Amino acid sequence: MNNTIKFLLDDNVVEIDFRKEKNLRPTTTVLNYLRSLSSHKGVKEGCAEGDCGACTIVLGEKKADRKIKYTAVDSCLVFLPMIHGKQLITVENLSQKKDGKVILHPVQEAMVNSFGSQCGYCTPGFIMSLFALYKNHNNPTREVIEDSLSGNLCRCTGYQSILESAMKACTKNGGDHFTERESLTSKILKEINKEKTTIHIVSGDQTYFHPFTLDDALMLRKHYRNAIVVNGATDVALRQTKRNEKLTEIIDLSGVDELKIYDEEENGFYFGAGMSIEKMKNLCEKPFPALYNILKVFGSLQIRNFATIGGNVGSASPIGDTLPVLFAKNAKVILQNSKNKREVDIEDFIKGYRKTDLKDDELITSIFLPKPKKNEIIKSYKVSKRKDLDISTVSLSCRLVLNKGEVKEMILAYGGMAETTRRAKKTEEYLEGREWNRANIEEAMKIVKEEFAPITDARASAEFRKIAAGNLLMKLFIDRS
Amino acid sequence: MLLHESAIKQVTGEAVFVNDMDISSEMLTGHVVYSKYAHAKILGYDLKQAKALSGVYAVLSYKDIPGENQVGPVAKDELCLAEDVVTNIGQAIILIAAKDKNTALEAEKLIDIKYEVLEPILEIEKAIEKNTLIAPVRKIERGNVEKELNKSKHKISGVLETGAQEHWYLETQSCLCIPGEDRNIKAYSSTQHPSETQAIIAEVLGIKSNEVEVEVRRLGGAFGGKETQANHIAAWSALLCNATGKPVKIHLFRDDDQIITGKRHRFLSKYEAGFDDEGKIISYSVELNADAGSATDLSMAILERAMLHADNAYYIPNMKVIGKAYRTNLPSNTAFRGFGGPQGIAVIETVIDKIARYLGKDSVEIREKNFYKKENDNITHYGEKVENNRLQVIYEKILKSSEYRKRRLEINQFNSENEFEKRGIALTPVKFGISFTTAFLNQAGALVNIYKDGSVLVNHGGTEMGQGLYTKILRIASLELGVSEEKIIVNATNTSKIPNTSATAASSGSDINGMAVKNAIDILKDRLASVALELLGSKSQKENIIFENDFVFDKNKPGKKILFKELIPAAYLKQVSLSSTGFYKTPDIWFDREKGVGNPFHYFAFGMAVTEVLVDTLTGYHKILRTDILHDTGDSINDEIDIGQVVGGFVQGVGWCTTEEIKWDAKGNLLTHSPDTYKIPTIQDIPADFRVELLKGYPNPNTIRNSKAVGEPPFMLAFSVWLAIKDAISVVGNHKSEPEFSLPATNEVIVLAVEKIR
Ligand SMILES: Cc1cc2nc3c(=O)[nH]c(=O)nc-3n(C[C@H](O)[C@H](O)[C@H](O)COP(=O)(O)OP(=O)(O)OC[C@H]3O[C@@H](n4cnc5c(N)ncnc54)[C@H](O)[C@@H]3O)c2cc1C
Ligand code: FES
Ligand code: FES
Repeated sequence: MNNTIKFLLDDNVVEIDFRKEKNLRPTTTVLNYLRSLSSHKGVKEGCAEGDCGACTIVLGEKKADRKIKYTAVDSCLVFLPMIHGKQLITVENLSQKKDGKVILHPVQEAMVNSFGSQCGYCTPGFIMSLFALYKNHNNPTREVIEDSLSGNLCRCTGYQSILESAMKACTKNGGDHFTERESLTSKILKEINKEKTTIHIVSGDQTYFHPFTLDDALMLRKHYRNAIVVNGATDVALRQTKRNEKLTEIIDLSGVDELKIYDEEENGFYFGAGMSIEKMKNLCEKPFPALYNILKVFGSLQIRNFATIGGNVGSASPIGDTLPVLFAKNAKVILQNSKNKREVDIEDFIKGYRKTDLKDDELITSIFLPKPKKNEIIKSYKVSKRKDLDISTVSLSCRLVLNKGEVKEMILAYGGMAETTRRAKKTEEYLEGREWNRANIEEAMKIVKEEFAPITDARASAEFRKIAAGNLLMKLFIDRS
Repeated sequence: MLLHESAIKQVTGEAVFVNDMDISSEMLTGHVVYSKYAHAKILGYDLKQAKALSGVYAVLSYKDIPGENQVGPVAKDELCLAEDVVTNIGQAIILIAAKDKNTALEAEKLIDIKYEVLEPILEIEKAIEKNTLIAPVRKIERGNVEKELNKSKHKISGVLETGAQEHWYLETQSCLCIPGEDRNIKAYSSTQHPSETQAIIAEVLGIKSNEVEVEVRRLGGAFGGKETQANHIAAWSALLCNATGKPVKIHLFRDDDQIITGKRHRFLSKYEAGFDDEGKIISYSVELNADAGSATDLSMAILERAMLHADNAYYIPNMKVIGKAYRTNLPSNTAFRGFGGPQGIAVIETVIDKIARYLGKDSVEIREKNFYKKENDNITHYGEKVENNRLQVIYEKILKSSEYRKRRLEINQFNSENEFEKRGIALTPVKFGISFTTAFLNQAGALVNIYKDGSVLVNHGGTEMGQGLYTKILRIASLELGVSEEKIIVNATNTSKIPNTSATAASSGSDINGMAVKNAIDILKDRLASVALELLGSKSQKENIIFENDFVFDKNKPGKKILFKELIPAAYLKQVSLSSTGFYKTPDIWFDREKGVGNPFHYFAFGMAVTEVLVDTLTGYHKILRTDILHDTGDSINDEIDIGQVVGGFVQGVGWCTTEEIKWDAKGNLLTHSPDTYKIPTIQDIPADFRVELLKGYPNPNTIRNSKAVGEPPFMLAFSVWLAIKDAISVVGNHKSEPEFSLPATNEVIVLAVEKIR
């Protein structure tokens, strides 16, 4: 049994054998692991739920060409086995000591010179997000900078100085001491990634599987039917970090490359269930703007780098942001067990509040999203209290086919209005066959308000949700006129 | 350019915060078990099982407190641990010390507290109805308000709700206590008020203050939230430390911090104003009702500051301010940047805005008409003269630099062409009184040591929480002593070095501590000057000796210099003391609370902002297109630090005015208890075009190096965002009907307001 995970930290390969570790469990988060080391206390906990970025670290992953891909993630939501085979980069790794002098990394230098830190508690997290930005972009636009930093909260600076730091620093095509070591790092990572037998950790009352192939994952699923499946764990980890639940049996899919595939066919796209939301976002930019626009305001970059599309569909949350678009285009969920494969319409897959049609031996392997057709208008909108890193109060995706100014086909899929993503069927029915004009939209706005009975909660009142649901129809109308 | 003194440590992750201190493997985790009911009798609990759990070292209730069960900073009405009644959710009942957090959580599960639930008061309206005043009603009055209101040609009146605000410092409350010899205890606390933390630890343990040492190197943000309420956490960890004889650290989990600690006071304010055709306010009456929460804490001082800022920048001949603070069953509300100022200012800014709409004029005209003037109309409603008034100069400059009038026309044009997207613009001023309004608090101490090698250690009573105090003190010490910054260290704030300090609050940190450091340095320079005269072989006077750039010389013979680091060993050999304390008290300030008159402020800080927003009236989404700020900091000690305070304060104010909404359910449970639902601004919420400038060429007399305090005033410039949003909404009704508007203006408030006037 392979009980050990390996990763690269401070240029050393760290091996953690959970049988020997008294204080580490497989679901120990990378944040808590780092903070248990006296040498890595730079990383901070600000919320333990992925909302503040104080815990941001960067993961280096081997790419095909001896290069390393750097991604920022919130370490408070990452279980240790998920970084197996990767390079873990922390704030302590950025500066170098030469002849007793500290040489700051360009992003650190810029932050110092721009007064980008005040109390300094958020700073290590910002430094890591800036570092990932530095590695991935040269002279980034303000939009790119904002997108890279909106997962980091700062209560002191008002961000202006941090924004300036980012502009100053990211001008060297990502060149730094990590670049110099890249081929060596790549070699080490290749070495630790050779072994492909499932990591199977038993520690106290916890069992944790980290398989590398779909077949292995499906076999595990067959034998451990009560195990919790995780991919990015951005949803599941909260049960531990926020609600102190014990997660006893876990199948972690994050090591299965077959689940990260992308395929474009004549009629549509296949997104592997394990594809990150960020990757999906980038793939959609041209072919599917309505989805791209929604994914752009999905969580933060750190969350999108880890969260997956399979996890979003698997959560079946009424405010899951991909679902309305998937409803609007009648996407299909591809499911597999160790013997069979089946396809289910997304609308049939979502069964209720956080309930799906997934059988206890199945996994979601991919999502099939039909391509937008020429005559189709597809739009999506998200209303949230804060524009970025906020959960939807109400969202709408729509598919509209007009014929000579008349509504021929229409799907209106709302998030946040009921216990699941829900189509406004009465409103659709009303509009179908009618002229696409303002009077009819205004009438439809009234119908949609009556069609739902949303809840009042921490985010908004039911009254606001109803009005917003109607107003989004008007937005759709103006966008189309 | 001088950098932030900790910047390099902060960007490399080396800067140490309390929770980063792992001082020994013996260290225990402290945990607090708190009330789940807003108002209830505690019928009983059994601690046996929890105590028996392996890995648990102590489980304490109020019965185990050796000293006084009290943490109230002003009024003694706040228990350290609840006795037989709980008065808010989050009130501490039991303390646990365990080997780690998980064990503490397991132990908590073994404690079953039985309650008899009582009816809570959760709304100010209900508190008013039940008359749960926490202290007698306060009043400040000038002129004949009723008579002038009755005579007024035009009148408006209304009610304004301003919301609570969670501090959301990135570092949650924390304290590490270490037992020493005898009964001594050392606390590393994330507190803004080390001396009070020391006193409260001593009180709960029943020991003397000289047995408690509190040290604070840095706080991960505070904003008022750690002025009094850090004391609770310190007291809890001290009790556990005392009970176990081991180091105990408490670092609150984010949700617990949000649930347990108090917030900015919610206010419900009722106002009436009378004015002439030009919009000049003749008479203004306002009643400020504050939600104090379950205990007094600093509520009365906060209410007082709200009352003293009810005028903001405007001279109003007849004015009456009534202040009431009510007890409710929510955690005791506390200091937060602005300290009541924002709540008082919000009302008068609303009044001005409404007058403009009523008269069909641009609100800048109404503001200009009502500003305090230089020669006349310059006495506040509480009798203090507004000296060194910068309102006119700032107004003229910013009106021009922001191109307000031109943009107003462009905005009108845009609005006439767009049905659902609307733009709005607003200019708002701030005049903010600097000093603690409790006059005796305006004192500070310092201790400056020079060592034989010429290096200097500066101690003072202020705490560094990101505002840049240490950087400023370093600068002040360097300039005053004429020694370069590399040779000076500003030491961690420690109660055994500087006793009896005031909180680092009221924006006064560098004003009073800077002066105390200067005083200590003046004393040292006086001693050293005699030695220098000897070394220079000069017959000159001590006053002629100049300390500059690491050299010492006679100003009449600048050619002959000695090095500071040569002077020091010589002084040592001559048995001259190289250590001195320093002290400062702000002169000439007083306030008579009974009569509501006085000179509570040493001076005023001024600033103005012009903000333009774009509002999507369908979704309530808004974008700040541009903000111009011109802020007065006198002769700034460090421009970058001051700009950082202006920007940071403004953005925090924007949060309070827009997305930061606190909600409770009908039982008093906080619904917005984590950043998942409580939304502070992100980088995408700041103005797309952000132009911040400090007013140059206007030194502030009688302060350290002619500077001005800057911590709080810019917060209130965020009203420019709030009123720009209101301006945009009001376009929907052609600026004719008054939008129903409250603070924060969330997208929900915006959409509902639009819905009403459409
Ligand atoms: C700070 C923060 C912000 C967020 N913002 C957003 C947002 O803006 N919009 C939004 O929609 N969501 C948001 N989320 C929720 C979450 O990130 C998403 O739902 C995400 O897509 C979940 O993906 P995951 O891989 O992390 O899921 P996981 O946590 O790994 O899994 C989620 C669920 O899906 C199941 N599952 C995962 N993969 C499979 C599979 N292959 N087969 C079968 N079942 C599977 C799991 O068993 C589990 O029930 C946010 C979360 C956080 C913490
Ligand atoms: S601790 Fe806040 S995002 Fe991880
Ligand atoms: S510098 Fe204090 S939170 Fe960012």
